[in-house]
Amino acid sequence: MNPPETTTAAVTVPPLEPTELAKPNAGAKQAEREAIKDINSDYKEKFGFSDSEEGYSFKAPKGLTEQLVRDISGYKNEPEWMLEFRLKALAHYRSRPTPKWGADLDQIDFEDIHYFVRASDKSEHSWDDVPADIKETFDKLGIPEAERKFLAGVGAQYESESVYHQIREDLEEQGVLFMDMDTALREHEEIIREYFATLIPANDNMLAALNSAVWSGGSFVYVPKGVKVEMPLQAYFRINTENMGQFERTLIIADEGSDVHYIEGCTAPVYTTDSLHSAVVELIAKPGARIRYTTVQNWSQNVYNLVTKRARAEADATVEWVDCNLGSKVTMKYPSIYLMGERAHGEILSIAFAGSGQHQDAGGKIIHAAPKTTSSIFAKSISQNGGRSTYRGLLEVAKGAKNARSKVVCDALLLDPESRSDTYPTIRINESDANVGHEASVSKIGEEQLFYLQSHGLDEEEAAKMIVNGFIEPVVKELPMEYAVELNRLIELQMEGSIG
Amino acid sequence: MTRDLHTVCPEGELPDGTTRLIDVDGIKIGVFNCAGTYLAIEDRCSHDDGPLAEGTFDPGTCTVECPRHGSLFDLRSGRPKTLPAFAPVETFEITVEDGEIKLLID
Repeated sequence: MNPPETTTAAVTVPPLEPTELAKPNAGAKQAEREAIKDINSDYKEKFGFSDSEEGYSFKAPKGLTEQLVRDISGYKNEPEWMLEFRLKALAHYRSRPTPKWGADLDQIDFEDIHYFVRASDKSEHSWDDVPADIKETFDKLGIPEAERKFLAGVGAQYESESVYHQIREDLEEQGVLFMDMDTALREHEEIIREYFATLIPANDNMLAALNSAVWSGGSFVYVPKGVKVEMPLQAYFRINTENMGQFERTLIIADEGSDVHYIEGCTAPVYTTDSLHSAVVELIAKPGARIRYTTVQNWSQNVYNLVTKRARAEADATVEWVDCNLGSKVTMKYPSIYLMGERAHGEILSIAFAGSGQHQDAGGKIIHAAPKTTSSIFAKSISQNGGRSTYRGLLEVAKGAKNARSKVVCDALLLDPESRSDTYPTIRINESDANVGHEASVSKIGEEQLFYLQSHGLDEEEAAKMIVNGFIEPVVKELPMEYAVELNRLIELQMEGSIG
Repeated sequence: MTRDLHTVCPEGELPDGTTRLIDVDGIKIGVFNCAGTYLAIEDRCSHDDGPLAEGTFDPGTCTVECPRHGSLFDLRSGRPKTLPAFAPVETFEITVEDGEIKLLID
């Protein structure tokens, strides 16, 4: 991931110090804490379990070597050009220092990671054929049930590779392709070669270079012209082994006039040692197409989540990133949209929740590179118990991008003096007729809001929960209903298994 | 409009697959021999305004890759073929006269 280039001074907003008159009462503070104290409090029971590794096909020893990269490519029977791509990426990765401009990454020991772990020999199309213990894990996570109820297709990745993939027959008959990336490279090499790494080159940044060298799994989606995929496609990523590195690679191509919604979710066992997740996601929306990409990230709090996501929208196309970051020890993620054609539209909706020991360093970048393009960024963050949330954003209007319009809103909710929120917005405008708005706020739950709701019959805890839910509502309302309900429950109480 | 001719080098000093960097009145330009065709491009990546022509040159595709973030530029058109660069850079006409490669600059 690259930093949205900062040309303004960073603003670190300290927690609000109440004046004597405005000092909140003890009841209000207690209500705030009650509203969110249980977020992920039962993570260990719900998601933090781990399965036995007996029966694993292959587990690479820790550390990254050229031989391992060659082995990964060999296991997957990849064409020569992909091996060359990987090796070149490895050289780039080794020549770059660990980024220092964002969250603290100094604790990561890149040699203490298993870079490739294969739990089973192949990906199945029926849950009955998936190895029993892996299937049981996904049952606990609610994935097969979600597939039956409301999804058009599901991919399930366990450690480094896909263990299950299925798409509704009617979509397949219309030419929709949805499969894991390894299979896509084998069965659709030409289209992969045309688009792979055209948005995020191997040398884009250090973590993208690492992913490019050792990528495994991820999703490939192609939607033909005019086809609208009514129900979401979903991928779920599960880490099991300790000190694991997961490096999925996703490429979505929506051809002219098509429409697709892709959802991804992720969880991992709770360990005391660190794991690393570094994905690369590229979205290409051709003229008139629409792609919505929703992420519900709920890694355990020993995972470093360092991701590069980039989209390209051609004329009259729309790309929407809906990015919910709840878990991980450290997340650094700034989904971006390049508006390359006239009247292209981009939206980034982001929620970040940072609890004790967490740093959510998130945001988004939108680049207006054509006339009459429009965009919006809505970023909401909540910090409690010493958690730290950071918004990093870039809004750029390039020369020639006449009549561009954009609005950026980044709001932070700080719930105690121990927590922290930072905002690093950058706006770069090179056309005089651009219409760009930027709003930022930092707040805590207000006494007046609580009083109003309590005067309508809610008790303090219910009122506080409602306020927090209202705070994140602009993002949550964009999720499919099942996920919105679940996410609200998470913020209110605890996370249910069917999220992601 | 006046056009100036600037000598790059004798033809034999820029074999196929090689690059030469020159500075013309403060404009840094990369001159490439791409399978027998001479191409010239502004030595500036439009992504970060840093040097471009020192990047990896592929005569097979007539592209140069920015060394810092990997954007591929088409040497014929000056357009980037991959992000993160999206704006084109200037290209320049080349001619060969009396055994010398010459750049035409307006």
